[in-house]
Amino acid sequence: MDFNFTDEQKMLRESARGFCEDKSPMSFVLEMEEDEKGYTPELWKGMAELGWMGLVIPEEYGGVGMSFMDLIVLLEEMGRVCLPGPFFSTVVLGGLTILEGGNESQKNEFLPKIANGDIILSFALAEPSSTQYDPSLIEVTATAEQDRFIIDGTKLFVSDANVADYIICAARTQGEPASKDGITLFFVDAKSPGIKCSLLKTVAGDKQCEVIFDKVVVSEENVLGEVNGGWFVIEKILQKAAVAKCAEMVGGGQKVLEMAVEYAKQRVQFGKLIGTFQAVQHHCANMAIALQGSKFITYKAGWMLSEGVPCAMQVSAAKAWTSEAYKKLVILGHQIFAGTGFMAEHEMPMYSRRARAAELAFGDANYYRKMVAQDIGLAPRS
Amino acid sequence: MDFSYTQEEEMFRKRLNEFLDKELTEEIARQNWEDLGVGPEAREFSRKLYENGFLGLPWPKEYGGQELSPTYDFILIDELGKRWGAHVPLDVGYTMTGHTILRRGSEEMKKEFLPKIIRGEIEFGLGYTEPNAGSDLASMMMKAEEKDDYYLINGQKTFNTESHYADYHWLAARTELDPDKPKHRGISLFIVDQRSPGITIRPLITMSGERTNEVFYDDVKVPKDRMVGEKNKGFYYMMEAIDSERNHVFVPARLWPIVNDMISYVKATEYNGKLLSDDPQIQSKLAQMIIDLEVAQVLADNARWLELNELPMTMEPEITKLVVSELEQRMVDDAMQILGLYGQLEEGSKWAPLRGRIEWYYLHSFLPTIGAGTSEVGRNVIAQRGLGLPRG
Ligand SMILES: Cc1cc2nc3c(=O)[nH]c(=O)nc-3n(C[C@H](O)[C@H](O)[C@H](O)COP(=O)(O)OP(=O)(O)OC[C@H]3O[C@@H](n4cnc5c(N)ncnc54)[C@H](O)[C@@H]3O)c2cc1C
Repeated sequence: MDFNFTDEQKMLRESARGFCEDKSPMSFVLEMEEDEKGYTPELWKGMAELGWMGLVIPEEYGGVGMSFMDLIVLLEEMGRVCLPGPFFSTVVLGGLTILEGGNESQKNEFLPKIANGDIILSFALAEPSSTQYDPSLIEVTATAEQDRFIIDGTKLFVSDANVADYIICAARTQGEPASKDGITLFFVDAKSPGIKCSLLKTVAGDKQCEVIFDKVVVSEENVLGEVNGGWFVIEKILQKAAVAKCAEMVGGGQKVLEMAVEYAKQRVQFGKLIGTFQAVQHHCANMAIALQGSKFITYKAGWMLSEGVPCAMQVSAAKAWTSEAYKKLVILGHQIFAGTGFMAEHEMPMYSRRARAAELAFGDANYYRKMVAQDIGLAPRS
Repeated sequence: MDFSYTQEEEMFRKRLNEFLDKELTEEIARQNWEDLGVGPEAREFSRKLYENGFLGLPWPKEYGGQELSPTYDFILIDELGKRWGAHVPLDVGYTMTGHTILRRGSEEMKKEFLPKIIRGEIEFGLGYTEPNAGSDLASMMMKAEEKDDYYLINGQKTFNTESHYADYHWLAARTELDPDKPKHRGISLFIVDQRSPGITIRPLITMSGERTNEVFYDDVKVPKDRMVGEKNKGFYYMMEAIDSERNHVFVPARLWPIVNDMISYVKATEYNGKLLSDDPQIQSKLAQMIIDLEVAQVLADNARWLELNELPMTMEPEITKLVVSELEQRMVDDAMQILGLYGQLEEGSKWAPLRGRIEWYYLHSFLPTIGAGTSEVGRNVIAQRGLGLPRG
């Protein structure tokens, strides 16, 4: 047992903190919320030069060859400043999916480009019929026709599809809409005829899209993994995505706590620092408890995923606890900042809007409670 | 980071569980957990733990340990806890005062007490609280006057739980009597033979049937070499020992029996022709217990790992303690709700589900948020010591 970060991880954190704080002040984040693209090529290039896009890609494919646990450290720092852009889509949902499911020629072709920052990826999973997060409910169809497939249907909440070069699309090649068998992953050129992408307006101002596939033709070479065997890959990626999202939340939560404590040490009312009031102290203590739990369960789940140890229970605990904890952190943060924190140009809303988006991404606490109930044999497996 | 156990540690766990299957009974577990008084069976069990190589592994060799990783003690305490909430039978010595003696005691004191603690032979009772000094321990009045080669001690303690069966009293008393000096810099810590002349122990019985005690000192003479560490520094040592208590008593593993009992219960009990385990609300409650326990486990691992590797701690033991104690209350409330009308039935009653254990836990669950520092004081500590907020 060892709770220390490695020296490399400490250095990574330090350099990431410097870069993120320098390049992504709040003004930039808010600007990107209004921007059509939601990122700037300069920032993207800068991140690629630091090796971030290739962090978890093995050296043989042009990456840095670091671990998922190292990525957790980096994502925490990104979450701390709400760094905008398609990093999560490209690296976590794109890169890791290709690593997990891609064949050798797909890996050779795409991974070096990801590592270089040459391409942006997006992952299309959710659909209009699943109002609750339900990753296996897939009705978008892919029909085999000689050596190609025709994809038809609508995907929702597809992050960064507006700027993506490729979209990884989960489509049904067989079976009932809710069945885990019969799902296939396709690597689709985002410029293919028949793809129509439009931006949704979201609470976090992030770039989630509706993507309509209207008889989009994909060659069979662009199947990722096995035909009908996509769920096997999706399940693994969603575990990593959930914990990666927790890391962003931990970073954001840490910043919110620091800001609130700082403010409590400056703001005077009734002739006293508000930080001397016990009600305010207890708000801060409750934030610290929520954060500490989020941190360590995220590190534990992240480490287990990194080491390839089975950890469905820890992933569920991490995403359930952290989603709730981040909401608690922002609620208490707002309470301490009171009126000032309610203003649009204050930092607090930037975090509280993202707390909601992060809760919803890859399953909220209700979803993971259901998963746990299945894991302990109370509910039948869906 | 590394959240794994080594192969040797896993072997240890396996050997330990084989031993516990044979040797640990519910009666022994409950003698300690419910503070009924550790009887001869539990003392015998304690000695066997040592003889079979399960006690004392992380402790220094010169006092009878093996200087292995502290993880061995984590495994020991967790595996015990999973069985009826058991603990090391003489847990105050082994997990609270022992660590403080090791850190703060003189060499003679370590030689005298640590080997017996490691062998599971002696127990201590904690003597902090007084009728007028609960959360505000610095206000304690128990007086220790320096005489030739001893201290003369007078006054009263209350809620001193192990005193009726402990061998020693871990006593905090005032050694600086000048009222103009800061209160917390006038307290010293003593190890007092619990059977010394002049000590009277009177029982107090709690709502969940445990025994705790009032302890009166009437001209009790305590040799000077039984003072722990330096004079007038006792308040700080006491705070350290309370951190050890938070880390080693508020062990999430001890709550697993509740969850496991409840899981078997809902899988075997029907209402209206349907198993309780099919009810989504019940599923959700039980799942949340497990989620909370997973988080509590890693928090507890972090806090005790920091302590036993002598790394700085500010708020970690408090966070663990708060999470575990408040979790116990929520968990027991949810369990009572699931049991419905039957939840009110006591152990021994006709129709009592799960042998009335949940009903007992309900009664007990008011204590964890009070003992070892209340939740309110815990949050003050997190805010002030952990986050650096100013005192009022
Ligand atoms: C079963 C049992 C076993 C125990 N065993 C032992 C033992 O072995 N040895 C021992 O020494 N003690 C023991 N204790 C004592 C225990 O540690 C105290 O009860 C506890 O510290 C609280 O003190 P109090 O009960 O006097 O409450 P008080 O301190 O009087 O507190 C009353 C209320 O005021 C609140 N409060 C007090 N101060 C503050 C503050 N600064 N800010 C906000 N709120 C505050 C408290 O949180 C609480 O809600 C035991 C207690 C029990 C019930």
